Amino acid sequence: MTEIDARGLACPAPVLKAKTAIETQRLNAVRVVVDNAAAQQNVQRFLETQGYESTLETDSDGYVVVGRRDATVRAEPQAGPVTEAGQIKIMVMIATDRFGYGDDTLGSKLMVNFIRTLNEMGPDLWRLVFINNGVKLTVEGSEVLAELKQLQEHGLQILVCGTCLTHFNLLEHKQVGETTNMLDIVTAMQLADKVINL
Amino acid sequence: MCGLEIPTDDHVIVGMDSPDDAGVYRISDELAIIQTVDFFTPIVDDPYQFGQIAAANALSDVYAMGGVPKTAMNLVGFPLKQMDISILRQIMQGGLDKLKEADVVLVGGHSVEDQELKYGLSVTGFVHPDRVLTKKNIQVGDCLVLTKPLGTGVINTAIKGGVASAEVIERVTRQMAALNRDAAEMMKQFSVHACTDITGFGLLGHLAEMVVGSGCSLRLNADTIPILPGAIEYAAMGLLPAGAFKNREFRESMVGFSSSVNPLLRDLLFDPQTSGGLLICLDRADAKQLIGELHAKDIGEAAIIGDVLPAAPEKIRVQ
Repeated sequence: MTEIDARGLACPAPVLKAKTAIETQRLNAVRVVVDNAAAQQNVQRFLETQGYESTLETDSDGYVVVGRRDATVRAEPQAGPVTEAGQIKIMVMIATDRFGYGDDTLGSKLMVNFIRTLNEMGPDLWRLVFINNGVKLTVEGSEVLAELKQLQEHGLQILVCGTCLTHFNLLEHKQVGETTNMLDIVTAMQLADKVINL
Repeated sequence: MCGLEIPTDDHVIVGMDSPDDAGVYRISDELAIIQTVDFFTPIVDDPYQFGQIAAANALSDVYAMGGVPKTAMNLVGFPLKQMDISILRQIMQGGLDKLKEADVVLVGGHSVEDQELKYGLSVTGFVHPDRVLTKKNIQVGDCLVLTKPLGTGVINTAIKGGVASAEVIERVTRQMAALNRDAAEMMKQFSVHACTDITGFGLLGHLAEMVVGSGCSLRLNADTIPILPGAIEYAAMGLLPAGAFKNREFRESMVGFSSSVNPLLRDLLFDPQTSGGLLICLDRADAKQLIGELHAKDIGEAAIIGDVLPAAPEKIRVQ
């Protein structure tokens, strides 16, 4: 079993160390050794939200948290969204303000059309993520603001890359969606059943 | 300080023998001074914002004692060899702007070279000797009013870990930099029995101090306690600061929870706060009116979170 030695580390470092290990190595069993009660409780809680069953051992080194999960069960945070049975989670990631290559005017027109038609996916549409040039669709003057706001009102979570908004100097002009970071985007990709890239 | 002899005299209204938010010293029958000092290492990345937060946090103790802050002095520890001095300038600018907002003058300060950046202030305020508000004197039938949501500790840990979202960071920074001045001014229109500000011991730690020796017990309504967005989520990820566990270990014997109270929320009630809100104890009718006025003044998340009951074996009940 993979062992993570997080002794001598203060919160939140032990959790972050465990997080990196289980995410990069997709571990189904892990031992995390910590040397203080706060880290022990935080690590246990973290493993449990990641779908592990955790047990605690104490030995001369300190606290040993052992986490195991069933390889066939998908890890999903407890706090994650509840979806109806039979429903799948589609994430649409939009990295451009134009649809396709070739003629830019046509590309803009197609993108407006695409966003307007998006709600035809129904409840399977789970997250809409805007990165790079795509964030320009969420700011003042965008032709699809009304459509995006409507999707959001109907419960769709819209994530907009904060680094990208800052890069384009548009942080204060964003009109719809939640400013997000790469961790949220990566987590969403992992949780989605299908990711559509534009 | 245990075992050390503390010098004192008859003018001390609040001193080391009854730990409170700040010390109070009577100058005349009409005037007492409130003194407090607070400094810490950076909690947010932006130096200007850090300066603002440190100042709002230091000023808060004077407001919590029922006073008006008047003068302040800077305390600085700065790693000259590792950091550009312009960072310190931005921190000081943040602090100064916050002092200006509070109508407080800066009259001096002291800096030392330090391996780790630290900033804070010593603040002096005025209060009428008969109108000092302490943690003692809660009364059966009082309501507990909290003026800012909880969760700054766990969110600051998430920021340190690089997992907090931009929106959560913006929100918590704004809250920590917000002065408790308006809430303090508004509470003075009412007959307030006790007041403190929620800081390092967490909500339950500070409530424990209020209830000890009072001959009363407290009842909190978990559903009404305001919590910052992101706090529950980060607590679930295991990002509670070590201080939250220490606070819990120290005070959990005084607290009983109904089984319906979410375990994550229980931990957040021990979460150490930076520049937290005021916790104000006053009659029910006054509390309702105060809440209305706080909301009208844009302190929109202020809430009545519980009340004071006669003594019970369980000092604090969260239901």
